[in-house]
Amino acid sequence: MSVKKISLKRELPTTTLSGFALSGLLVLTILNILLQNMPSKIQTAGDALLKLNATEGVANAVTTVVVFFRGFDTLGEIAVLFIASLGIGLMLHSNSRCNIKSESNFMLQTASKLLFPIIILFGIYVMIYGHLSPGGGFQGGVIIASAVLLLLISHKAFEVPHSVIVALETFAGVSYVLIGLIGLLVLDIFLGNFLPHDISQMGLLLSGGIIPLIYIIVGIKVGSEMSMIVQNLIKRDHDV
Amino acid sequence: MFEFFNQPEVIKVIVTFGSMLLFFVGLFGLLTRKHIIKIFISIAIMESAVFLIFIGLTFKLDFIAPILDSVNVEASTMNDPIPHAMILTAIVIGMAVLALGVSFAIEYFKLTGKTDIDEMNEMRH
Repeated sequence: MSVKKISLKRELPTTTLSGFALSGLLVLTILNILLQNMPSKIQTAGDALLKLNATEGVANAVTTVVVFFRGFDTLGEIAVLFIASLGIGLMLHSNSRCNIKSESNFMLQTASKLLFPIIILFGIYVMIYGHLSPGGGFQGGVIIASAVLLLLISHKAFEVPHSVIVALETFAGVSYVLIGLIGLLVLDIFLGNFLPHDISQMGLLLSGGIIPLIYIIVGIKVGSEMSMIVQNLIKRDHDV
Repeated sequence: MFEFFNQPEVIKVIVTFGSMLLFFVGLFGLLTRKHIIKIFISIAIMESAVFLIFIGLTFKLDFIAPILDSVNVEASTMNDPIPHAMILTAIVIGMAVLALGVSFAIEYFKLTGKTDIDEMNEMRH
């Protein structure tokens, strides 16, 4: 009887790992030293943007950065999310699906029906108040997608109609670009803030010009795309 | 007893070493696991370490969230909003890429029934 000799080095690449750990430690230590020795009076980009932020009349500075100062990047990010959703739809679109859903019990079905409108309402609240409080389109859209996921795992027959998602996504994408183009026409800036955005209105629901509008559009797009992703990942075959 | 942790240097050290630890947990999983879904989860863990270090290193203890109102219009006591915005972008992109990768893995499993990356050798001839 021969005992097979197992080399520990083969199981765990300890040399490589310790090399990685040491180099990472060095990089992070140098980064930390650099960040700690930074003079405190230095004018960062964030301070400059915080000063500019008040001119747009939006309370939440993160929203202004995401939607206004980096509005074009957010458009690209939405495009990336759309392409990922498209890829998942193409990948998982086949007729031979295995059934990954099991029967859910009565309690789960009733509770999810009861919770669904409340979660949707909370998602819409987070979306609409994104320019006043922490939250916004991405977060609200993901909350709405979580409500859809809850119904998908509890009801076997539930399915968001494909036409509804296509309509919402098209509406959101087209209106984002249209708002940008109207800003280009009116102010010669793509995504320029052409609606009234007075600083005295800051903190009200109707303030900030186009910024809350764009974040609601982003929320609709993210919500529909995430719902499509979870539905594609969880959906089973129709005739099983 | 928790005043010790309120010093800015201690917070920076905890954030740096904690996220480094999390990053290397993910890297260890990435290098040693063979199951493809576990590899994707390891990449997600590494991503979350990067998010944590970005947010944690710009966090200042006495500063408030970057939300202006009639009382807090002084921008010098607010946290930097740029890392928050960047990480918001990074989280969404990371989620999309993870979901796309998992869908590739699911489709591959349906076609061949394999999840081990050592056995994925259809292209090797």
